[in-house]
Amino acid sequence: MTAIAPPIPPLALDTPGALSIRGLNKHYPIDGRRLPVLQHIDLQVQPGEFIAIVGASGCGKSTLLRLIAGLETDYEGQMQLDGKPIRGPSLDRGMVFQDHRLFPWKTVFDNIALALKHSRLDKAHVAARVNEHIALVGLQGFEHAYPHQLSGGMAQRAAIARALITQPKLLLLDEPFGALDALTRVRMQQELQRLWIQQRSTMIMVTHDVEEALYLGDRVIVLEPRPGRIRHVIEVGLAHPRERNAARLQSLRQEILGQLLSQAGH
Amino acid sequence: MSTFKKCCAGLRGLASPLLLVAAWEAASRQDASHAYAFASLASIGAGLRELSGSGELWLSALASLQRTCLGLLYGASLGTLLGAGMALSPLAARLVGPLFHSLRQVPILGLIPLLALWFGSGEGTKVLIVALAAFYPMALNAVEGFSQVDPRYREVGRLFGLGPWQHCWHVLLPSALPSLFNGLLHALAFAWVSSVGCELFLSTGVGLGNMMMNAEAGARMDIIVIGVLCIGLLGYAMNLLFSRLSQRLLRWRPLRR
Ligand SMILES: Nc1ncnc2c1ncn2[C@@H]1O[C@H](COP(=O)(O)OP(=O)(O)O)[C@@H](O)[C@H]1O
Ligand SMILES: [Mg+2]
Repeated sequence: MTAIAPPIPPLALDTPGALSIRGLNKHYPIDGRRLPVLQHIDLQVQPGEFIAIVGASGCGKSTLLRLIAGLETDYEGQMQLDGKPIRGPSLDRGMVFQDHRLFPWKTVFDNIALALKHSRLDKAHVAARVNEHIALVGLQGFEHAYPHQLSGGMAQRAAIARALITQPKLLLLDEPFGALDALTRVRMQQELQRLWIQQRSTMIMVTHDVEEALYLGDRVIVLEPRPGRIRHVIEVGLAHPRERNAARLQSLRQEILGQLLSQAGH
Repeated sequence: MSTFKKCCAGLRGLASPLLLVAAWEAASRQDASHAYAFASLASIGAGLRELSGSGELWLSALASLQRTCLGLLYGASLGTLLGAGMALSPLAARLVGPLFHSLRQVPILGLIPLLALWFGSGEGTKVLIVALAAFYPMALNAVEGFSQVDPRYREVGRLFGLGPWQHCWHVLLPSALPSLFNGLLHALAFAWVSSVGCELFLSTGVGLGNMMMNAEAGARMDIIVIGVLCIGLLGYAMNLLFSRLSQRLLRWRPLRR
């Protein structure tokens, strides 16, 4: 299967974070009719795997992530995380949105600490965990800043820290770097890869950037629109961290772009 | 240089009151009837010394202020609760919405005779009137604030498994806070006006309104002027206090330029 090469420590067979999706269908009611948005989605994600999803806009990528996150509960088919059916949001699945969705009325520290509200940790332990995660995403010194005082990249780092602090088995990222400038995006991709290698949690990332998908993903899933279906699954098969302009990535990029463009054609 | 500029800016705010005072004094010096209608600055000063010496001014101001605070506390709390209820529960909106929206069309002043008949003309009735005056603007703004909570933030609350109370405290309340402060500033203005105003209708008791009513009976123009100034200044001071408080609690909002 996927080539998981040296820098990633080998995973025990029972390491949690295995996602299984079988025969997933999703409709939205529009003008009294049921509009199919996702059709026959089958996907098995190994623990610790990095899945990248690309596809034309409107083909249901966000809907798929929202279903996995448990934010949408009305669907047909089976979705299980480590054998447990997905019925609603849970702390074993974290989510990062394109708009960082930090609460504007809370500081960076309080935004991240909010994720631990459910826990019975005392104040000192919460503070220690939060500070540890602030350091993890390199936001030291900005603990007491409000979101409007942060740059786009910093806000997204805080959002990632907030999603990671509950130590989810599965982290879902919906175009997390879509709104960032090219340079910041490249830097954030490296950061995310570092975090992934460090945390070893399963990650599923939606992106419209094919290069990003190939740089980060063990597998890249190409969705086809109207209704959203899996058109292709590409095994990247290179070790992490990767050389951005490796020949294999270049040729895969051409292949995926070709598929996306041919969809737009008809 | 910049401090000089700041001084100038500060003085500019004083220009219109000073002009008004000068015009007032000029009017009072025209003839006897003017001197009565526009009490001279000297007589106002004498009146002020008399009132503060006897303690009447402080007692009156304190009584009016205390009633305002009490009525505002009741009215604004209930207004917030009802507004939140109407915004968050369609059932509550259907049950109390029509009653609420028709009752708020009636001016509070029009309700005073009725309330006096039911509850007497004591301090309790006055507090009730102030509370009613504060209630409506607060409830209206609370409805607006709580119905505009961004669903994207609600989702974040769901993701982190917040309970109902945690959700209220961390998501709903802060979302509504700008509207709530807007409502509070309006409620304060209505509360203060009706606190003094209801003394003119229910004339037993103590307060700035009563002080002015007595002055009118005794033909003391100077005291009436002092009453007007006091009401204006105290209202201004309370507004300033609440604005500062709101700026402090809403400091997370990006500055609008
Ligand atoms: N809540 C909703 N109600 C109705 N239609 C929706 C809703 N959310 C998304 N859709 C529709 O579903 C389709 C897929 O949306 P989305 O998952 O956001 O696409 P993507 O993220 O790939 O751009 C779109 O056609 C969109 O209009
Ligand atoms: Mg999307």
